[in-house]
Amino acid sequence: MAPMKIVALITVIITGGLLLYATGDFPAWGDPLSPANNSALSRHYIEQSRVETAVPNLVTAVLADYRGYDTMFETVVVFVAGLAILAVLGQGTSRERAAIQRSAERYQERDMINIMTARLIVPVLQLFSLYVLAHGHYSPGGGFQGGVMFGASFILIALAGGLPEALSRLSIPGALLLAGLGVLLYGGTGLVCMMLGQNFLDYHILHRLLPATDAVMARYHAMLIVEIGVAFTVTAIMFIIYAALSSRGRMTGGL
Amino acid sequence: MIAVFDICILIFLVAIAIIALSVKDLLASAMILGIYSFLMCLLWAEMGAVDVAFTEAAVGAGVSTVIMIATVYQTSRKSSD
Amino acid sequence: MIILQITGAILVILGLVFFLGAAVGVVRFPDFYSRMHAAGKGDTLSTILMLLGIVCFLIADVPWAAVIHGDFSLLVEPILTSIKVLMIALLIMVTSPTSTHALMQAGYDSGIKPHLSEADDDSTPSDEETPTP
Repeated sequence: MAPMKIVALITVIITGGLLLYATGDFPAWGDPLSPANNSALSRHYIEQSRVETAVPNLVTAVLADYRGYDTMFETVVVFVAGLAILAVLGQGTSRERAAIQRSAERYQERDMINIMTARLIVPVLQLFSLYVLAHGHYSPGGGFQGGVMFGASFILIALAGGLPEALSRLSIPGALLLAGLGVLLYGGTGLVCMMLGQNFLDYHILHRLLPATDAVMARYHAMLIVEIGVAFTVTAIMFIIYAALSSRGRMTGGL
Repeated sequence: MIAVFDICILIFLVAIAIIALSVKDLLASAMILGIYSFLMCLLWAEMGAVDVAFTEAAVGAGVSTVIMIATVYQTSRKSSD
Repeated sequence: MIILQITGAILVILGLVFFLGAAVGVVRFPDFYSRMHAAGKGDTLSTILMLLGIVCFLIADVPWAAVIHGDFSLLVEPILTSIKVLMIALLIMVTSPTSTHALMQAGYDSGIKPHLSEADDDSTPSDEETPTP
């Protein structure tokens, strides 16, 4: 065994041992007296989030409202990851291009059964992803999950009918536009709050702009807007990552 | 009862992580990581973190497995070590 | 409602038996194609059977005495859940054979040869068809 591997093994074993040792200090599972249940912040979330935001799903309220900065920069990270993959995988060398052309010709005739099943599944999948996005206030779900499923529907088209088929439905410039629009929607909501004289991402002031809302329902609706922004970005970036990685940035052929 | 279920999943997780590291074929490794994600999803759903489980099922087991397999297809299938 | 519960139990156990068959087939069959055949068929059928068994249990758990006395609101939730489970069964019925087909096609395209034994021609008929003199 190489000496570096032995060093790595020892490091991993020591780290794992320390982590195992630390689990002894954990509170029991479901312990009502655990610190996570008793800090002032957790109690505020658990008791007041329904009153303050009218969102029954506590996870969505914390994710999109109380910790809006976290989610916004997560979205930005996803966006930057997609941009980086597009930037790194350029046009490729001519040899790679020829190889991809050959593989594209090899898979020219697509399988009928796969295409028909994809035609059957894709509308259902897209409709369900919109449901997941819109129903995130009440049940598990939200922008990330809905966006990933919508992106997966485009990946399914690419798997069944070839990458050009999927690119004819969502082109790379279109996907980049969608991704930027998502980040803009999220950041723009925060900026509008700022312009109305509140803190960044402090949604309750939006009741001056949104019709027929009070300060509570404004937070509810602003969360939906923000989740839609997240879904736009995640949809587009998932498809961009797949398209770039499966064709070495050439955007032809694919798997 | 549910603790036995937990412990079974955790043992499976450790075993699958070791298998994914020791397999030489990167395509098989990517698929085994998909199984790992599904088991994590099961564990989280059972512990009550349904949101996290949903994300794991969609991202970890679904899209990231596809992306890893696409990358393996375009690069090399053999692990270098 | 004991009949529905028994039906549900039978369906779930039948599904488990088919799952066992699929697992044994994956281990025991000689080549890629017959293994995929066992995995694909057993997987699809057993999953659908188990989901149907779950639907039976859901319907059996409805408090039918209250429903007969006119409290139909108790029916809403079990029926909605049953429809969701049946949708999952429908989805699996469509997607699982397709994925088996796609895997088979990929194996064929990458040149996996089926396992053909020497005794594969017509000289050895199977047990049932052995002509009795």
